[in-house]
Amino acid sequence: MTRIMKYRVRVMLLAGLFAVAFMLTSVTAPVAQAQNKDPIKIGFSMALTGALAGGGKQSLVAMQIWQDDINKKGGILGRQVELVFYDDQTNPKNVPGIYSKLLDVDKVDFVVSGYGTNLIAPAMPVVIDRDIVFMGLFGMNNNHKWNYEKYFQILPAGPSPAVGFSGSWFEAIKAFKPKTIALLAADAEFAQNLKEGAVENAKAMGLEIVYNQNYPPNTSDFTPIVRAVNSKKPDIFYIASYPNGSSGLVRAIAEVGTDAKAVGGGMVGLQYAGLMSGLGPNLNGFLNYDFFVPEPTMNLYPGASNLIERYQKKVKAENLKVDELGYYLVPWAYAYVDILGQAVNAVGKIDHEAIAEYLHKTKFTTVVGDVQFGENGEWTESKTLAVQYQGIKNNDLDQFTKAGTRKIMFPADIKTGEVKPFNELR
Amino acid sequence: MRYKFEIGCILVLLAAYLFTYLEVNRFLYVAGFPILQFVMIATAWNILGGYGGYINFGTAGFLGVGSYTAVALIQWLGAGIVEQVIIAGVVAGFLGLSIGYFTLRLKGVYFAIATLALAIVLETFVNNWDFVGGAAGISFLPPRKPELLGYVFIDSKGGALFGNTKEYLFFIMAVLAVFSVWIARSIEKGKLGRGLNSIKDNEEAAECMGVPTLRLKLFATTISGSLMGMAGAVFPSFLTFIDPLTAFNLEFAVNSLAMPMIGGTFTWIGPVVGAVLLGTVQQWAIVTFSSELNLLILGVLLIFFVTVAPHGIVGWFMKKNK
Repeated sequence: MTRIMKYRVRVMLLAGLFAVAFMLTSVTAPVAQAQNKDPIKIGFSMALTGALAGGGKQSLVAMQIWQDDINKKGGILGRQVELVFYDDQTNPKNVPGIYSKLLDVDKVDFVVSGYGTNLIAPAMPVVIDRDIVFMGLFGMNNNHKWNYEKYFQILPAGPSPAVGFSGSWFEAIKAFKPKTIALLAADAEFAQNLKEGAVENAKAMGLEIVYNQNYPPNTSDFTPIVRAVNSKKPDIFYIASYPNGSSGLVRAIAEVGTDAKAVGGGMVGLQYAGLMSGLGPNLNGFLNYDFFVPEPTMNLYPGASNLIERYQKKVKAENLKVDELGYYLVPWAYAYVDILGQAVNAVGKIDHEAIAEYLHKTKFTTVVGDVQFGENGEWTESKTLAVQYQGIKNNDLDQFTKAGTRKIMFPADIKTGEVKPFNELR
Repeated sequence: MRYKFEIGCILVLLAAYLFTYLEVNRFLYVAGFPILQFVMIATAWNILGGYGGYINFGTAGFLGVGSYTAVALIQWLGAGIVEQVIIAGVVAGFLGLSIGYFTLRLKGVYFAIATLALAIVLETFVNNWDFVGGAAGISFLPPRKPELLGYVFIDSKGGALFGNTKEYLFFIMAVLAVFSVWIARSIEKGKLGRGLNSIKDNEEAAECMGVPTLRLKLFATTISGSLMGMAGAVFPSFLTFIDPLTAFNLEFAVNSLAMPMIGGTFTWIGPVVGAVLLGTVQQWAIVTFSSELNLLILGVLLIFFVTVAPHGIVGWFMKKNK
């Protein structure tokens, strides 16, 4: 073979290599439309690694429990349900691509959100563009910018979530008769929305805001921030943070201390089993939001206790590396897919217009009680709790499964303890 | 044939448009976009890094400036994608010129560290700029029926040039990628490319021979920065969301360096080969087994090529044919 021939063969080989490389992406795109007896596919991204993995993993297990339950009952529209999910790594940039993949490659019938406001926000433009029903899991005011009529979410923060979320907390701190407040929030969608609502509540109470700052989400040392807050001598210290920040702030406050009578408010992550046992007695005194705690008066969500028990048994039996308690997200993650299933079965066909209309006008009975969606797909009433961490003796996880470590301070009708100044419990 | 390359460019663009016209699975446009973006970024990096021998770790900085210029224009004026690309190119080009002026006296690892610092400084700045979303990031909903001079060019019901935004952005990215390759080839074949090569071989000797080294390097940083900025400008509209972590991600710096290295840094086709190959493998990995394995694949391929074929795939092919 001449040298020129050899060259041409190599060029053709190179061209062939590219052709194969291009085809690799093409072959992954299925072409056949779903047949009627194929499973109903529900697609979502979930934080299985990264900062929100503590919540994401327990949500996934709860959704899988629902999948088993619904399939035993005959599925949706007589078809079995299949969950299609990808790890978004708690990274918003991965979300649009994942939803595009779910809709165009996996050809899912429905998409629901991953866990958390920051991961719902980047999915919104994708679903709005496709004009499909979108169920959100713990989204804080995600729809205020879009007013998208097919968005529904399961965070029980009421019709005005930014304000409603911290409403119980501000009710609980009235016992201290505070005059000044410091506000600190992570510079992320959820925390910013939360702080916005807290500022409104603070103003409504006539509190003077002496400190109002944000911190970048990747902050690791919070001691300078806590010292800066302390220099303003606030009566109350409101914090809106994501798990990494929450943990860092609890440790920084344990190190530096504070004279504020109430500390906490919107600290995500303190409800995770891993963080609770890890932080142990450092949590004493923190006054924070929650949705479900093992207190005797916890009757807001009638089906939740049974579901949590099933979840805990499953985690133990299958030795799953997830949150061992599941109080924080399990009932909600179960409920948001359950509501979707109920709506589709009631409508009797996959018609996003009709399903959205049904979701708007119906009151659903779920493991978290009756759920009715109002404007912007938010709950019509707030059911957020204010709880105070009290009497935590060590890092043993078992103590958090019993009443007394997270006492309910508000709503008043189910309160199980008296709110105490932060330093009295340290 | 004299204009073989230019005709090839036009054919590639026609193929890209026909690809959007076919309205195949929308995911293919989503997967194709980053590959084309990588072609552009790798080509832009290669102008300074491959021809001039100055290793730039600040790709994410230039890309982020492009992205956030686009975000600012959307927020401020509701600007369309064409305006975003042009202005982002000008802003990033100016940044390239300024950074070049201050850092080009540094060489080797010192220059690389200085450019790496650029990305970090810019990310911190954007983190604290609320108008463009701050650290929380910002979401967009692209217009469903955008118009240019009264003509609707995206309409899902047909009758327009494109059926949806992803197709449109895919085509825009294809135009930009071809444009950047054309620029790189023109530089390589011209006086500028020869001058940059002489700088890479021996800067002092080049200076002694009368090569205006500073001027050439400034020209290269400006062009390279401008192209990276343009590639970044389309990013927010494509993702429909942008935050500083995404826009200034070091992954871009690693990719922009690895792709020309794997493809071959001495010719315009090298970065194209590297970007298409690596970009496709990465997109394939995301869909099939794991999105986390991207950088691992990149690392393994980089080690393999640096040891087995230090002049990249193209170099290996050419050597075999000598």
